[in-house]
Amino acid sequence: MSFRSSITIVASPRPRVGKTLLARLLTDFHLHEGRLVTAFDLNMGDRTLAQFLPDKTRAASIRDVNGQMALFDHLVAYEDITKVIDVGHEAYEAFFSLAHNIGFVDEARRRSIAVAILFIVAPDHTSVTAYRSLRERFTHATLAPVHNEMLGPAQHRDKYPLATGGPGLVRMAVLAPGLRRYVETPPFSFADPRIADSPLIPATAYAELERWLRRIYLEFRELDLRILLADLQSSIQLSSNSQS
Amino acid sequence: MAKPTVILVGADKGGVGKTTVARTLLDYFGAHQTSTRAFDTEWPRGTLKRFHPDLTEVVDVTSVPDQMKIFDTLGSAEAKVTVIDVRAGLLSATLQALTDIGFLESAKKGQITFAVFHILGSSIASLDEIAETARVVGDANYFLVKNFINNTTFFEWDPAVYNSYFKKIKGAEEIIIPKLNEMAFEQVEVASVPFVSFVGNKNAKSETANYSFVLRGYVRHWLGNVWGEFDRVKLVDMVSPKIESNVRQAAG
Repeated sequence: MSFRSSITIVASPRPRVGKTLLARLLTDFHLHEGRLVTAFDLNMGDRTLAQFLPDKTRAASIRDVNGQMALFDHLVAYEDITKVIDVGHEAYEAFFSLAHNIGFVDEARRRSIAVAILFIVAPDHTSVTAYRSLRERFTHATLAPVHNEMLGPAQHRDKYPLATGGPGLVRMAVLAPGLRRYVETPPFSFADPRIADSPLIPATAYAELERWLRRIYLEFRELDLRILLADLQSSIQLSSNSQS
Repeated sequence: MAKPTVILVGADKGGVGKTTVARTLLDYFGAHQTSTRAFDTEWPRGTLKRFHPDLTEVVDVTSVPDQMKIFDTLGSAEAKVTVIDVRAGLLSATLQALTDIGFLESAKKGQITFAVFHILGSSIASLDEIAETARVVGDANYFLVKNFINNTTFFEWDPAVYNSYFKKIKGAEEIIIPKLNEMAFEQVEVASVPFVSFVGNKNAKSETANYSFVLRGYVRHWLGNVWGEFDRVKLVDMVSPKIESNVRQAAG
């Protein structure tokens, strides 16, 4: 089996840990890599992701079956489009319970779609328990803990065990405070080539922003490789099992 | 030749979902490679036959020729398990008929495995049937099925009253059929296929269908829970008591 596309779920049961920023960066990373990408915004309230990337984002809701069908049937559709889901903290448990009950990850794999979950780590008990529960419920998905360095040093990192052969901790570097104001007014895409010449962003600030993006994109490329590697390993195991 | 099994699925009240339970049973035995046939007593037009046309025959259980068709063929039929979906209002009458033809006597002697799935309605009236059927069934495998499939409010009656009835039947087991999302249930109805086919995205001709993945997921999860209940009451062991030794042979 070789994956034709991927679905990345950005999640945390806690509010204000940087989920939407991570989802924006991921969506823009895929665009930057020349992929077709659709993002799904599952935040109940202000739909921040949809505000930042209005052309690439669909507002989604899983409160009723029609919304669930609109989201999940679309996610597993046979099409070569990379998908990013920003699961708001209010929708966290409902989303993963439903995904588990309907066998979402297995169905996606059957259709050659890789599923990765990026979980933003935090020291609180709820987050630690939620992460453990994801590990138990979604054994066929790539689960990667993300350390948002804006939240401080990850001294609690040992509470988030990594899967053997799976991805390491994904680091989301701190964006210098002086740069935030350039990227925090929607709509804004990091992949938009016009920002290089924007009169609103000074050249030095842009260079700094570029450096920051490169660091983060490097982490995402590493994650992509890990997903590919996991796929290869399972293919090798399958073929050696069928030969023996 | 293995001992034949007869499973009666019935209720004295309509609309409690007994055909749904019969469908889950046919799917369950199918998944366990146990050959099964079914009789639908909603004569002349059966609902069960619509979902499982290959396995099901519509019969009039009160007519002697049809009784012969069911019971005289038990030993010779290829199918090991016979599921009879008894029309609403006919459970007591059918059990009486089984007593009259000596069927229950054979079951008591152990020549036939006999089980009753009694689907409970939400009213006290349907509890009275338990006492009545218990008298006839004796120590057959008696399952009281609480069917929540399309109900949100259910069993508002006093647990003490229910337990007093429940205890009247020696060895009775309780089975819970959980609720299934309405839209998912409706889509299976529209598709008119077994639950297993719906989950596998197949139409009645076994061609790939285009059912919603979410609805299939709901049905798969629900069916898994129902089968979990059947596993819990050891339904397969009841039908094939020797299955364990077969497994051991295969393993060894």
